[in-house]
Amino acid sequence: MSVLPFPSFLDDVKEKGLKKAVFEVVDESVERLTAGLNIQDLREAIRGEAPSRRPNPRLRPHADGFWLHMRPSYFNSDVTGLYPTFRLGWLSTYFVFFETITGIFLMVWYTPSPQVAYSDMLNILGNVPLGQLIRDLHRLGAEAMVLIVALHMMRTLFTASYKKPRQFTWFTGVILLALTGFLSFTGYLLPWDQLALWAVTIGASMIEATPPEIVGTNLNLLIRGGPEIGANGLLRFYLVHVLALPALLFVFTGVHYYKVILHGHSLPPQKENKGEDTAKRVPLDKRVYFIPDVLTSEIMWIAVTTLILIVLCVWFYDAPLENHADPQITPLGTTAPWYFLWIQGALKLGDKVFWGIIFPGIVVGGLAVLPYLDVSKSRRFADRRVMISVGLALISLSSWFSYMGLSEFAVSTSADSEILHELTFPPAHNHIGKLLPIPFEELKPGYYTTRQFEYGVDSIPQAVEDFNALIEQPFTADANITRNTEEKEIAAELTAAGLQTTSITFRPVPGDAPELYAVMEEFAHLLEINNSELNDAWGAVVITDNQIGLKRLDVIITWNEVQTEGGKPVLGENGEPVLVLNELGEPIRRFNVVHIFIHENSAYFNN
Amino acid sequence: MLERMLIGRIENRVLVGTVAFLAIMIVSGWVAINEGARMQAYQDLQLARSIENGAALYVVNCSTCHSSDGRGVQGAGPGLNNPQLFGYDFFPEMTQQITELNTEKKALQVERGHSDTTDARKAEIDARLEAINTEIEAVANQARSQVQAAVDMGYDPLQFSRTKNLGWVGTLDSFIFTTLVHGRPASAKYSSLGAMPAWSQAAGGPLRDDQIRDVTNYILNWNRDWTLDDLFAVRHFAVQPVDPATFVGASTEPSIAQEFNSDVDAVVAALATVVGDPQSGQTLYNGSLACAGCHVAGAGLVAPALEGTYTRIVDSRLTLPEFAGYSPEKYIVESILYPGNFLAPPAYPNAMTPNFADQLTLQKIADLVAFLETQTGPSPE
Repeated sequence: MSVLPFPSFLDDVKEKGLKKAVFEVVDESVERLTAGLNIQDLREAIRGEAPSRRPNPRLRPHADGFWLHMRPSYFNSDVTGLYPTFRLGWLSTYFVFFETITGIFLMVWYTPSPQVAYSDMLNILGNVPLGQLIRDLHRLGAEAMVLIVALHMMRTLFTASYKKPRQFTWFTGVILLALTGFLSFTGYLLPWDQLALWAVTIGASMIEATPPEIVGTNLNLLIRGGPEIGANGLLRFYLVHVLALPALLFVFTGVHYYKVILHGHSLPPQKENKGEDTAKRVPLDKRVYFIPDVLTSEIMWIAVTTLILIVLCVWFYDAPLENHADPQITPLGTTAPWYFLWIQGALKLGDKVFWGIIFPGIVVGGLAVLPYLDVSKSRRFADRRVMISVGLALISLSSWFSYMGLSEFAVSTSADSEILHELTFPPAHNHIGKLLPIPFEELKPGYYTTRQFEYGVDSIPQAVEDFNALIEQPFTADANITRNTEEKEIAAELTAAGLQTTSITFRPVPGDAPELYAVMEEFAHLLEINNSELNDAWGAVVITDNQIGLKRLDVIITWNEVQTEGGKPVLGENGEPVLVLNELGEPIRRFNVVHIFIHENSAYFNN
Repeated sequence: MLERMLIGRIENRVLVGTVAFLAIMIVSGWVAINEGARMQAYQDLQLARSIENGAALYVVNCSTCHSSDGRGVQGAGPGLNNPQLFGYDFFPEMTQQITELNTEKKALQVERGHSDTTDARKAEIDARLEAINTEIEAVANQARSQVQAAVDMGYDPLQFSRTKNLGWVGTLDSFIFTTLVHGRPASAKYSSLGAMPAWSQAAGGPLRDDQIRDVTNYILNWNRDWTLDDLFAVRHFAVQPVDPATFVGASTEPSIAQEFNSDVDAVVAALATVVGDPQSGQTLYNGSLACAGCHVAGAGLVAPALEGTYTRIVDSRLTLPEFAGYSPEKYIVESILYPGNFLAPPAYPNAMTPNFADQLTLQKIADLVAFLETQTGPSPE
């Protein structure tokens, strides 16, 4: 008998021996921690054996424990396969946690201020071990989450799982979809680069269209924190991104999940009679227990999905980071984030208020109340031809509108600016100006012209020689008028751009610069296909040494000005463009020059 | 065997999950191992892109005065693509020689000042000092003759470092960055294109801090192994720092040194002819003369406090035997013009600048006296 007034471990040791006493203590602890499973039960579960004691101990963690209280203790085997869920709901939940965890790591290294946000990004990428990986994972996860949640909604629409009694589950799901979109959108601004600033500026400008004007203006001010997005706007987006939206997301995820458990996973439509809902009545032979089958399966999915994301981020995906945000410089080809492109596309159809506010409102609002409108009982595909057509039309429409949202569609800049941009733009939207990836050693100083291809690839030296002679000719044949040669005009243009030059002699692209050659060929091609707008055009690339390891590239386009109407060249009777003539009846020569600098360590060729 | 021992006995999902977890560990570990090299590569890339951005900004904003090749514009902006900016010494041996001669010179001067140095030794030292000066001049001329073209433009091979000439204690990086941030207001005096403006938004200019950093990186990228050709290509060398005395003395009124030859009694007598304004005296005290930097209450270690200055002078200083016959004005004037003559108890360091005679005019000294005479409160001493 113990000296203590209660039985002690020492008594147990005396009575049963050390080994047995220790085992009992451990076994008891395990059972408490798992809320019902002792070591033997766990071993059986992991081995895939049937439970050896009754009542089934594997149900107790669901009944007594906190963590599993909102997971069903068993599933219908009809819903545990890939169809009908495609694991999309589970994946959505996975991304909620994945984004939270990676986001917390990023928060440690980030300050939401225009002064330091961008340099914090550079620090994360260049000075924080695994910083780039975590950032890539967070960004890729965000884009994937939007996609997965949207697909989850489409699946639910097609299998009619929103019908009674799951109307409210669907409703919270639409809210979660919107929250996901806004979370992704608010996170877009935080790197404070050009991509972020302009994508968000475009997105936020839609809000301005909200009628009446006083509401739109003030909503816009409230969100941006001023007429332009600045320090206030960045801080607001940050707080919304890390506090407000996640809080709402967790609340609605909880509600959504609770409703799923309450009503059970809806069965494939053909598995139950019309108008019936038998999800909660699972026959004994169809039961798949959470412990161990569903649990191990989910752990496997966590591992596999995480692995896929990591592999993608390590070898295939780099989150974009463009130049520092600059409200003064609007980049060519700015678009909203891809998941808001459909609104940007719709806006090009006309009225800002209708297409920017009312139309998206109808789409999202319509989706939210769908289960209360579509009250037909049958979930069978055959009985739902209209709704399935509506769903497919919605997909087609949003794809089409998204395409219209791209800058390629219906936004035209002059051809010369487009071509110069095409050749020189810094990395953006996973594209890069064609001149930038040329290996540094191929950028040999000199003057190169697209006219070298004029007589075909066999006569390049001859073409360049003729061209050099041509640009020394005065523009006019009239000997009484002294006018500049093309050479002098170019020299003046270059000098104005800060490149001192007096005489210009072009030379063929050297043979040991094949990529430069390819770009010049492409350049010539771009001028050729735009020859109605760029009449008698030629282009040139001037490469000069600026510093050790730093080259300057001047890209020139010169052409005869043509008459245009609504951005399109006017064609004459013979199908040729009509030239604009000066007082002497001669064509007017136009020039456009852009210069960039390329450093040997910039590694643009890795993009 | 693996099939029989392991794969056949584990359910597929457990096997796949386990393999996936192991793969995550391996891939993450592989990434972690390479992280040092990757981060270094990223920093190089980032610097390269910063230099590119800086180059673009430089062409637009800086090339008018400093020229697009960075060699400067005659009479406007100094060359930045310039060995002097980077402190490159073309004649290290001669510099060494001169340093040694100067060291010797200093030692001799100290010896000459000793009270027990005999007159004979003094004469010997004087002869050697003269020889050293000739030698230094000869070495300097030898260096100068080799870079005559640059010397004609204001370069001095003995003053080969811009930052040293300015007494700049930070790095060249911080010198360029700071100069870009604040500009050079004084350069209006010697640049035909006007003063260099402040470029940072923080100082009222157009550029963000990251852009200032880009331009700094671009300018620093001019550093290399310099040749004399690089030196001769420079079109304009930075002007040597302006002597503060001449700078402040640029006002038309004569300074105390010029007007009274720094004679205390003459200044005190002249004070009767002007009326001091304690208000502008206070402005001088706290502002351009920066007296308040040391004379503050509670500082106590460097200089006597401002509080109760007048009380202190009348009650304790003038009672000392060495100030018999002094008026408070005379005490103040002498303390300002010759701060080393009397070190107030308890033995403050002799730290006050002795050049106020060059900086002050009669009116200013009258203002200061008037201001100090208002300090009649209790003295903290």
